[in-house]
Amino acid sequence: MAEMEVKESKKKGPGVKKSKKHSTRVDLTPMVDLGFLLITFFIFTTTVQQPTAMNLNMPKDTKDQKNDMKVKESGSLTLMLGKGNVIYYYYGSDPTKMQTTGYKDVRNIILKKKQSTPAADLFIIIKPDKDATYKNAVDILDEMDINDIGKYAMVDPTPDEYSLIQKTEQAGGVK
Amino acid sequence: MARAKIKRGSTSVDMTPMCDVAFLLLTFFILAAQFKPTEAVNVTPPSSVSNKVAPEKNFLNVTITKDNKVFLIMDPAIKADVLDELGKETNMSFSAQDKKNFVNSDFVGVPFDQLKQFIALRPEQVKAEAASLPGIPVDSTNNQLKTWISAAINARMGETLNFLIKGDDATKYPTFKAVVDAFKANDQYKYNLVTNSKAIPEGSELYKKNHGKPE
Repeated sequence: MAEMEVKESKKKGPGVKKSKKHSTRVDLTPMVDLGFLLITFFIFTTTVQQPTAMNLNMPKDTKDQKNDMKVKESGSLTLMLGKGNVIYYYYGSDPTKMQTTGYKDVRNIILKKKQSTPAADLFIIIKPDKDATYKNAVDILDEMDINDIGKYAMVDPTPDEYSLIQKTEQAGGVK
Repeated sequence: MARAKIKRGSTSVDMTPMCDVAFLLLTFFILAAQFKPTEAVNVTPPSSVSNKVAPEKNFLNVTITKDNKVFLIMDPAIKADVLDELGKETNMSFSAQDKKNFVNSDFVGVPFDQLKQFIALRPEQVKAEAASLPGIPVDSTNNQLKTWISAAINARMGETLNFLIKGDDATKYPTFKAVVDAFKANDQYKYNLVTNSKAIPEGSELYKKNHGKPE
């Protein structure tokens, strides 16, 4: 076994130099700085955003014409979603009277219709055509939520309406 | 006269407790943070005012990319059962190794005939090929998504499955419709569309409804 030298501090002979005792305290300020810096960094880089989900309920497909829902002509507004974020809309059942709008202005049109129509009659028909994007469909469904529209349906445009849209698009040079 | 002696305290404060707190917070935040699961396919969903959090259990996620390809991601808990059921419905046989591969895989992005090779790929290989994957066919002649959905429903008989549809901004509407039709063919009419949240525009009808109408 190695010998252990036991020193007794009190008994120091003359001539033994007193070793300078350093303080054992470390300045922790930089460490605190670092700690908080890391916390701030992690908090800022973390994305809090969680994906949300929108409910979508679709009706059952019925082949039977009798089961189709009847909509009052005076209360219906048809929105057709076309190519290049354009909306074509018409009131009632005459597609030839359709007008053009965009996603920013569609809210006013919906609101105007909502205010001028008895709540029970109001029905919005959404017809996304082949060139509409998924974003367009979600945006317009969202618009239904925003404007608190109770009754709306998402259906395909009829061939007549589709050709009408295409004619308008060709005339307007929309690609 | 004796002057009152003002006791001079040391200006240096003991930093140890503060340091402890800082690192305790740091540890807490790091441990409490949930890592974002690696996204199989890169999709930017549109935003909506809905504030309902997307369900994370028993889900079946149909993701549509901007190239209109359809991928299927499902809850890892139901995967094994779904594959069993799919084997029954399509008369394919899966070995124990296939099943293990399938449970470990992130998503399905190929038609049935390539499924076995696809699930045998390692995650890095899948990532490298992600752009060239064909996706699950959804056209009316060969709607394999329909089969997947029915397999999932039958595998989890009696439980509610959450159907998530996640589309990209640039996804074309017909593909979305094809996906919805595949669900409809299985008599499923309720879906959750995965979106990013956005604020409800002030002054809109919904805003008034939520905040009470000002008199």
